[in-house]
Amino acid sequence: MSRTTNGAASRGLNRRALGLLLELALPVAVLVGYGVWASRAQSFYFPPLDEIGRYFNELWLFDRVGSDLVPSLVRMGAGYLASVVVGVSLGLLLGMSRVLRTAAEPVVEFLRALPAPALIPFSLLLFGSGDSSKIFVIVLGAVWPILLNSIDGVRGVDAQQLDMARAYRIPLAARVTRIILPAAAPRIFAGMRTSLAIAIILMVVSEMVASSDGLGYFVLEQQRSFAIPEMWTGIILLGVLGYVLNWLFLRLERRVLAWHFGLKGLAGPAAPRKQSGRAARRSARASSPSAPSSDGEV
Amino acid sequence: MLEVSHLRKVYGPDPTAAPAVADLDFTVADQEFVCVLGSSGCGKTTMLRCLSGLIPFTSGEITLRGKPVTGPPEDMAFVFQDYSRSLLPWMTVRRNIAFPLRYKGVDRRAANEATEEALDAVGLAGRGDRYPWQLSGGMQQRVAIARALAYRPSILLMDEPFASVDAQTRSGLEDLLLSVKQRYGITVLFVTHDIDEAIYLGDRVLVLRPPATVGHAVTVNLPRPRDQVLTKQEPEFARLRGELFAAIDGRSVAA
Repeated sequence: MSRTTNGAASRGLNRRALGLLLELALPVAVLVGYGVWASRAQSFYFPPLDEIGRYFNELWLFDRVGSDLVPSLVRMGAGYLASVVVGVSLGLLLGMSRVLRTAAEPVVEFLRALPAPALIPFSLLLFGSGDSSKIFVIVLGAVWPILLNSIDGVRGVDAQQLDMARAYRIPLAARVTRIILPAAAPRIFAGMRTSLAIAIILMVVSEMVASSDGLGYFVLEQQRSFAIPEMWTGIILLGVLGYVLNWLFLRLERRVLAWHFGLKGLAGPAAPRKQSGRAARRSARASSPSAPSSDGEV
Repeated sequence: MLEVSHLRKVYGPDPTAAPAVADLDFTVADQEFVCVLGSSGCGKTTMLRCLSGLIPFTSGEITLRGKPVTGPPEDMAFVFQDYSRSLLPWMTVRRNIAFPLRYKGVDRRAANEATEEALDAVGLAGRGDRYPWQLSGGMQQRVAIARALAYRPSILLMDEPFASVDAQTRSGLEDLLLSVKQRYGITVLFVTHDIDEAIYLGDRVLVLRPPATVGHAVTVNLPRPRDQVLTKQEPEFARLRGELFAAIDGRSVAA
């Protein structure tokens, strides 16, 4: 018994090590390939790795962190947070009320179709060239996936859970926070993930127009002064930033939606041991004819 | 305890449309176990939804302990057929059970006690920290029953609660239900389409015919406590089964 679990555990470990190796192989190959090629090519536009590395070290550890990285992060953070708050609360309202949804739909569809960068000039007029105009543009682009997914999530809440809540006389506020929001959370998180990428894009774009700091400003400025290796460090930093934020987001999602992943049989490393038994039971349940829904009867 | 008179329910705005419940009359006495038997489409679910105050009815009257039912009553609990959809998967078993109690004005300590007691009554002591989806179907339905018990209702409405579990689990749940009914001293209105289940559990069995009128009613004179093997061997059990089968079928029955 213990031997089999040990075997399984070490097999699992091996597989994870192999997976990690596989994941690292391509990035390493690309880096090495680029390094070898660039050091021979002597191209002005594609500086060798060690040069980029040297500049990266010089600029981002930690000279310009305070002057460019932090302002960017603050704008993106504020814009993203505002998008989540606005998107989820509006989504709750529109999801729960058919009247509001019908009334708001044309406006939502129009605004959603509007490319957010097109509003940068207007936003500059409205808010000036400070942080507010950039945050405004970020919200204008990032709010839609969250809003639309929240609406869908709220509409998709199981009617029987709501019946249960009413039968037990759960007040409306608790129904919203304890049932509707958690039930819609998987969809909301899907929207939030899309919006995260949009927020980063709009942060960069908004900083390239009428700005005096930030990563977008930095990249554009270096390009304008033909400081190509410096420009590349900004681009690489943006890539790393996107990667890290996405990774953090997935960690958060795994944590908040642990029940959802467990329910769907996607339990990650959080609960590896009980998984087999649970999975077996789940598949047994899935294969048995599940309860006919109430549409057979009126 | 529960009195239903001339209950009528028509869906939609047109009151002359075909009713889902036409003219329903029955009463349930205190501590009684009444089973409502009917094939699908006969209006069982609509009836239960009216009784539980979840949907308004067109005309007639429902009173629970003398008070007319206009919304979900305070001393009523509902067990749904589909446990996997009425339990909240983001809450542990314990929190699922305690959830309605907070809003009933039960203080935390009493709520915890009621929760533990209900868990114990349904044989799930020690599983409170699991999530519903970590349990088998039968156990999930026991959680739903525990949630209803912890709510301390005077009447329990059950909508085909054992229809989606396997036969073995089902008889276990039936016996569990009889024992907790005894322990908590509650009244039960149990809707099912299974004749044997209705006879085995009930003090009385009402047969519902579309559009939800009581077509036939029998009193079950079988001794309690009931036993899955012995009770079902009684000649009376066989006789009732025949009578109810005919009644559901719509044949005229010689009483």
